This record gives sequence, C-alpha cells and structure tokens, in this order.
Amino acid sequence: MKTIKDESFEIQRHEDTPRVCFKGALRLSGAADYTPILDMLMEMLAGPQRPIILDLRDLEFLNSSGITMFSRFVIAARDRQEANLEFIASEKNPWHARSLKNLQRLMPELVVKLL
Amino acid sequence: MDYTMATETIGYCRNSPEEHCEYLHLAFSPLSAPLQSRWRNNGLSADFLGDYVTTFLPTASESMDAGGQQAIRHAVTYIANELLENAMKYHERGVDVPIGIHLELTKEQITVRATNGVSRVQAEQYKEFVERILKEDAGELLVRQLEINSGEAPAQKSCLGLLTILNDYSARMGWEFDSDPGSPDIMTVTTRAVLSLKDLPGAAA
Repeated sequence: MKTIKDESFEIQRHEDTPRVCFKGALRLSGAADYTPILDMLMEMLAGPQRPIILDLRDLEFLNSSGITMFSRFVIAARDRQEANLEFIASEKNPWHARSLKNLQRLMPELVVKLL
Repeated sequence: MDYTMATETIGYCRNSPEEHCEYLHLAFSPLSAPLQSRWRNNGLSADFLGDYVTTFLPTASESMDAGGQQAIRHAVTYIANELLENAMKYHERGVDVPIGIHLELTKEQITVRATNGVSRVQAEQYKEFVERILKEDAGELLVRQLEINSGEAPAQKSCLGLLTILNDYSARMGWEFDSDPGSPDIMTVTTRAVLSLKDLPGAAA
C-alpha cells in the first residue's frame, strides 16, 4: 500500500486492486503541490488495463487546484484507449455530485457511483 | 493621467441593507508572513466562516433541513477558501493593503467577499477576465479551462475557482476596483460572491 498524507488528508493506494481512497480535506496551494498525488494516479494508467476506482466518500473538501488535478487524470484516462475509470462518491458531501458531473463532461464514459 | 479616487464595479455589487445585517471580517497584513506559511490559515478561516454561518440559519424545526444546512456550510467554506486563496496568490507583493475576507448575512442572502491589493496592470487584466466570464456560459468556460490546464501549457492564472463558484454554486458575482489618488499604481480589488438563501437546496422558498 502506498500512502500520501499530511495533517489534513490521507490518500491510500491499494496495490492488489487499482483502488485509491481519499480522506479529509485537500486544499494544497497549486499544481506543483499536487504533483506527487497526480503521479501516483498516473502510475495506475501505465499498468494493465483494469478498472481503476477512486473512492472519494471520505473526502470532505477539495479546492479548485484539486479539481484541476482530478481533471488532468480524467483527461489522461480518456485519451488512453480502453481506460476504465470509476469514482465512488457520497451523498453526504453535497459537492461530490456537482464536481463529478464536470468530470463526466470531460469523459462521458466515466462511471460515478453516488452512495 | 487623472488618478482621482474612484470605484469601478463589474457584475453584481449591491450592498446589503446595514440595519438587518450580521457580518464577520477577518484581515491579514500581507507584510507580516510569507504566502506559504499563510496557506494553512486560509483553510482555518474558510472553515470558521462556514461553521459560523450555520449558527445563524433557521433550525431543522423551522424551514431548513440538516442537509440544507450542510450544503450552505460547505458552499460558504468553499467560496471563502477560493476567494482567500486568490487574494493571497494575486496580492501584489510589498503592497501594504490588508488582505481581507468578509462574511455578511441577511434573511435573503449570504455574501462572501475578499479584498487584496494589485498593480494597475494586474487590475486591467483581471477586469478583462471577469467581463469575459460574466458574458459567457460559466459551465462551458469551466470545461474548456480544465482542458487547457491539463495540456502542455496550463494557464498560470486560470481563475478556475471563480468559474466553479459561478457554475457549481450558482453564486452571483461582482467586482469592485478602487483606486487611491495617493498611490496611482495600486488598486484594491474586492471580489464578491452572493448566495441567495431561497435558491439553496433544503431552504424554504
């Protein structure tokens, strides 16, 4: 398992299944600060083609630089043939549905499960 | 050139009536600490404003359910965080104009506004940008900006936060550009986002 965290968030990538879980509040100051997280996500696109799951259920806050980071990953997945990407979101965080709708405009085949 | 004291407004800049208004104002001296050490304060301030506003909202027994309160708390936190991040990022270095974030609440609406100092050149670029985003469809611009940001040459100043405030939170936005005759090269910019309580989910019409 690979983990990136600081005092306000924790991100865990499970190695057995291509699944990344996000927790807490992501409000880093810009693209450079988000690079390690984006790199961790991009590594999964380089692997064998399997469904990639990003679990945002416990992600309570995401600033616009974080939205940009996710959009860069979604666009990279879209531009790769047969990429299979799924976001799991929560109804208890009212922003999830809105932000993921914008990502679906970038990649219509993106699967969003709102639990 | 004539630099008399002047305020130029773009977009929605109506003030709340003072007699029925609760407000909270936080101000930071831009000269006392570098940006990076300030960054954590942005989140703390935004969370505080979001938590604070819910104490004034109608309770569940009245006209708003818990989900509605949570949606408003999040909207205020997100908007305050984005406006404060922008104010900190784009404040002209060395200019002794306080960076401020202001929350205002009436029965009809919640206003969040941030203030910072910019050079006259920056102010002109910013005016062009905000005039464009008010004319075009914010949703279309947002998607286009996300595509640009993911490319080889991402925009240095994408102002994506403003586009999400307009598109995702349906806020009305307005800008004030104040010039002071004593400092002709510096302007104070106020960016304002207004949420109508009637339009928010969970709130009674």
